[in-house]
Amino acid sequence: MTVSLSALGAMVCMSHNASAQTAFTLPAPPYELPFLPPVSGSWTVMIGANGGYTPDFEGAEHGTFGAAPIFSIQRPGSADQFHSPRDSASIALIDFGDLRAGPVGKYVSARDQGSHPELNGLGDVKPAIELGGFIEYFPVEWFRVRNETREGFGGHQGVVSDFSADFIVPVTRAITVSAGPRFTWESTKATDPYFSINTVQAMASGLPVFDANGGAHSAGAGAQLKYRINPQWEVHSYVEYDRLLGDAAKSPLVAMRGSVNQTTVGIGASYSFDFKIR
Amino acid sequence: MRYYRRCANFAAAAALFIMSSGANALFESRDTRLKAIKTVGIISAIGDLFSFARGGLTGPDNQPRRIAISVWGLDDLVVQEATAALNGRFQVQPVTYQRSAFAAITESPLAPVNLFRSDPFKKLVQTEISPQGLDAYIVITKAKANFGGSNRKLEGVGLITFNAVMESYSELYALYEIRVVDGKTFDIIEKMAAAPVDNTAVVRLAGPSRLLDESFAIGTTDAPDENLHHAVADLIARSLPITLGYMHLIAAP
Repeated sequence: MTVSLSALGAMVCMSHNASAQTAFTLPAPPYELPFLPPVSGSWTVMIGANGGYTPDFEGAEHGTFGAAPIFSIQRPGSADQFHSPRDSASIALIDFGDLRAGPVGKYVSARDQGSHPELNGLGDVKPAIELGGFIEYFPVEWFRVRNETREGFGGHQGVVSDFSADFIVPVTRAITVSAGPRFTWESTKATDPYFSINTVQAMASGLPVFDANGGAHSAGAGAQLKYRINPQWEVHSYVEYDRLLGDAAKSPLVAMRGSVNQTTVGIGASYSFDFKIR
Repeated sequence: MRYYRRCANFAAAAALFIMSSGANALFESRDTRLKAIKTVGIISAIGDLFSFARGGLTGPDNQPRRIAISVWGLDDLVVQEATAALNGRFQVQPVTYQRSAFAAITESPLAPVNLFRSDPFKKLVQTEISPQGLDAYIVITKAKANFGGSNRKLEGVGLITFNAVMESYSELYALYEIRVVDGKTFDIIEKMAAAPVDNTAVVRLAGPSRLLDESFAIGTTDAPDENLHHAVADLIARSLPITLGYMHLIAAP
């Protein structure tokens, strides 16, 4: 299920920002808390939607389409910093401009054996919260390297480390294309709940017993296209491809019922407008 | 029963605290504090340097070139424009101050340091301005804004030339922020970065800026360029009343 870059170019995409006319003006709030910044002034609201195709579960051969809303409020002109679809939610507590670092968090949804027949007999895996840190560096303005290392809580208690690099090429002031390689390393505790098959699971699922260890987990590439049509409308699309490696790829779940090729495709559009608070 | 009595005592104590003057001050609105201000002094420290920066497809050595622009008298212009705008509502009094001390303050790259340390301008207002004792001081200093997707930071007054594959463009900016500092307690009553002056550009900066078309002549020497001078002065003159209005220091334009 590989989606080529040419498919990316063919995709109609949409997303976010800028603005043109001030849509409306709200009265000043009756009360302001002194320890919070004032709310008076201009704000830019962005609304939109993202649609995407993602694998049913990690290692699955098939995927499902889903949609998510886009919504943000920020001061006008706040720069849209480069963000890869693979980036987890993060806050830069250290910001030297070209070097940023801080905490990062990611939600990994539960894997429910009842949702997909390939998982029958393997039991459910609870959702996991992964918390850790990120560091990213721009040696030049058009190239970024980033690492996120997170520890799981809940569905797995292992360590996941994502490495990525992105070439960020401004084609015009309105069009930006970015692409680069990806690599993920996972510890045994992060791999085991999703790819090992114990005796009970083997009997229930018909798959052979397998003990998945950690190590190189996946390698791939991603690409993203953003087009700011005008101050109000922006569209974007992306594709991320990973090939599972190591014991994740060798797991009978993947080898017999799934695929080592994991592709995520997304498309989005957003509309921005300004409003004022007196 | 004893538990509920203890809760009631705690609630009564909390209510007393909230009604006390100290707690009232905590929840006092900015407008209330601004209404009490009669005399103000204006400090400006944005106009010492002009940066020429390059963005987009650039090489690794990409530090901005800076030239001195003190001869433009931008800070005098800022004080003059702000005085004209504020004079109807406040009694603006002339103040003397060490401009370089205000211009030298920079934010720490460590966010927690900025969060927990006291605003460095409070101390400067206490020590570097004469006369003391006015109701408030309006302090106008350089601000920073991110440009583009690469976390590039621009500061103060300057020009960035952005190189894309199929085009390049130049954007002039004058990034500044305004603080209202209480003249007695030296608390920051209000702080706001100047807003963009219009909202029609595809690429916007979080502050006063304008795209320069090809007809805009820019000098290539290190001497300050008069065209840039006038364009920056225009950005400041247009953005200052807007920002002062958002801060409720003057009627919104």
